[in-house]
Amino acid sequence: MQIALAGNPNTGKSSLFNILTGSYEYVGNWTGVTIEKKVGLLKNKQGYLIDLPGIYSVNPLSKDEGVTANFLLHESFSSILNVVDASQLERNLNLTIQLLEFGKPMVIGLNMIDVAKQQGITIDVDKLGQLLGAPVTPVVARTGQGVDGLLGRMLGKEEREIFPFKIDYGQPVEEGIEALIRKLPEGLQANKRWLAIQLFEGNEVVMNYLGQSIEKSWLAELFQKTEQAAARETGIKLLPQVIRQRRSEVIAGILEQSVTRTKEQELTFSDRIDRIVTNTFLGIPIFMVFMYLTFQLTFDWLGTPLSDLLDGFIGGTLTDWLTSFLDMVNATSFVRALVLDGIVAGVGGVLVFTPQIFILFLIISFIEDSGYMARIATVMDKLMERIGLNGKAFIPLVIGFGCNVPGVMAARSIERPNERLLTILLTPLMSCSARLPVYILFGGAFFAGRQGIITFSLYMMSIVVALLVAKLFSSTILKQEGGSMFVVELPPYRVPQWQTLARSTWEKGKGFLKKAGTFIFGGSVLIWLLSYSGPGGFDVPMDDSFLAMIGGVIAPLFHPIGFGTWQAGASLITGFAAKEVVVSTMAIIYSVSEDGLGALLSGHFTALQAYSFMAFILLYIPCLATVGVIKKETGSARWTWFSMGYAFVLAYIISLIIYQGGKLVGLG
Amino acid sequence: MKLTEIHVGDKVRITDLETVNRLVRRRLIDLGIMEGTTIQIKKTLPFGGPYTIEACGQRIAIRKKEAEHIMVEAA
Repeated sequence: MQIALAGNPNTGKSSLFNILTGSYEYVGNWTGVTIEKKVGLLKNKQGYLIDLPGIYSVNPLSKDEGVTANFLLHESFSSILNVVDASQLERNLNLTIQLLEFGKPMVIGLNMIDVAKQQGITIDVDKLGQLLGAPVTPVVARTGQGVDGLLGRMLGKEEREIFPFKIDYGQPVEEGIEALIRKLPEGLQANKRWLAIQLFEGNEVVMNYLGQSIEKSWLAELFQKTEQAAARETGIKLLPQVIRQRRSEVIAGILEQSVTRTKEQELTFSDRIDRIVTNTFLGIPIFMVFMYLTFQLTFDWLGTPLSDLLDGFIGGTLTDWLTSFLDMVNATSFVRALVLDGIVAGVGGVLVFTPQIFILFLIISFIEDSGYMARIATVMDKLMERIGLNGKAFIPLVIGFGCNVPGVMAARSIERPNERLLTILLTPLMSCSARLPVYILFGGAFFAGRQGIITFSLYMMSIVVALLVAKLFSSTILKQEGGSMFVVELPPYRVPQWQTLARSTWEKGKGFLKKAGTFIFGGSVLIWLLSYSGPGGFDVPMDDSFLAMIGGVIAPLFHPIGFGTWQAGASLITGFAAKEVVVSTMAIIYSVSEDGLGALLSGHFTALQAYSFMAFILLYIPCLATVGVIKKETGSARWTWFSMGYAFVLAYIISLIIYQGGKLVGLG
Repeated sequence: MKLTEIHVGDKVRITDLETVNRLVRRRLIDLGIMEGTTIQIKKTLPFGGPYTIEACGQRIAIRKKEAEHIMVEAA
């Protein structure tokens, strides 16, 4: 049994999905967070729940929103679970009616009844269900209240009559619907009346679907004839608006019979917060301060002390324990070197950054869940418009600070194709958490005590560079015809729940741990092997190893930007697999623990070279995983290559400016 | 008159959306904001930044240049 889960954005759909399936899921408060089709096994194991992206209408404006229309047309499922926000019934019911018109059995989960109650909205649930012809169950997805009853109804434990919901759209539209139904061939999976209504609403996915069996010119003519006839009758020029208007009247009628409002809305909690955080003058400074505090918390205040503890454990207790174990089993020197210099140095060197990365993801989850993300988009829109994007593009970029992969995916919620492509190209410039280990290592070694500000400067650099690149591309190769578009809903602020925050932090952060166990583990072994062996056999001096040879070939290229050593060259190559591997490579090359590495590096780099190196690592190439998702999202090999090539050229130029410029003013 | 000509907090009724950008109009209609809907401006941002409007109990941000195309009358 397959059940489709559909609803407006920010209705608690993802929370409900988690509760019903008992599985972990990414939960957020930002439109477009549920970007992939996710399927979960229901808790009682009697069916599967398919999570569709949050949409306002079956009629899509973006790629993300097209998922639902395509799903309804092409995939088989037995019923629909529609999540409805009780405090926003009027708007939510538009989607509900579109889904009811599709004609499949449907169950409605009325979420946020607690919020509605606070606003003085009382809903007669049974009456609402009667009027819609589908059972309505009140739930509070955040606490799980009412979910068991909903589950029972979804699985059809109650007998009920199904009668298709039907609105009379007025004679001209009804005639158009009839004409299309007569023309449609037999054996279509989708409901014919629904197809006709969607066509008249201007749904392009449906239009293309119909175009497979009916000539497009005939469809266009039918649309035009119906639109003209409806305009004569109603005085509304556009057909989609005629349909929406009629639906609104029906919704108003339903609400009148089932909803009572006891008090007028007053100044809400959200209003009060908005007065401050989107204040005319304070909006952007508050956001900056917020980001600054985020970095202070992640690095100086909380993350680094925790990281030091972990480092002490790995470098001390764990290493001692492993050494005595290796002694006990009489391990050969090869195995001993592999484990201690390869795996512990490589994987351990990266694992110690787990605290910082989880703290950063926790804060990003908080921004998403609280509703602040949409405000950031609004506050940033004017700036983003100047560079040819819109405020929504800021969200993938902010997520990109955590990890570029979900950042690139979050660009799907941007409606215009060129704006979306540009956002995808920019996201890898965002300093993701995997680059942190490099900053922490070099920052600690060369800029002790000023680590927070040095790291902050790199984050600022990534933003400024991204803005400049955006301006350049949007006015040359990626002009958006018809201009960009910006409409964003500002959901009410919510205090995120601990469970939700913990779950979504874990969801994001576990990728890092997984990488440590796979990519970094494998990479560490390979790098160690390359450094352990050379043309002269095994256990050669590091300078005669294969790794030194490979690094040496490309080293001259990096001489002008301050780090023409084979060690730097080798770590840049391995860093393509994942940026944090740069650190493990160095730990292996210099065969020291993370602790000793910092002190040792100060003998090999000057502060200026170190900063140039950090800037280069920041920009030089999207990591392998990001390249994969760019290919998937753009569907173009050309743009994927471009994303790698332009980043490299850009990084080289910036590092050149930093290093040569720095030397000129006497920093070197 | 244009939506941008009214004061923050005033309630007005939309009379015409015809010259609004096609995609923006679509999204507004999805949200239930169409001709005849009562709306008010909650807030504006400086330097020609977005307008936050409230309609049907929801808050939405749109660009000033789109707001200029929304024709309204006193409600």
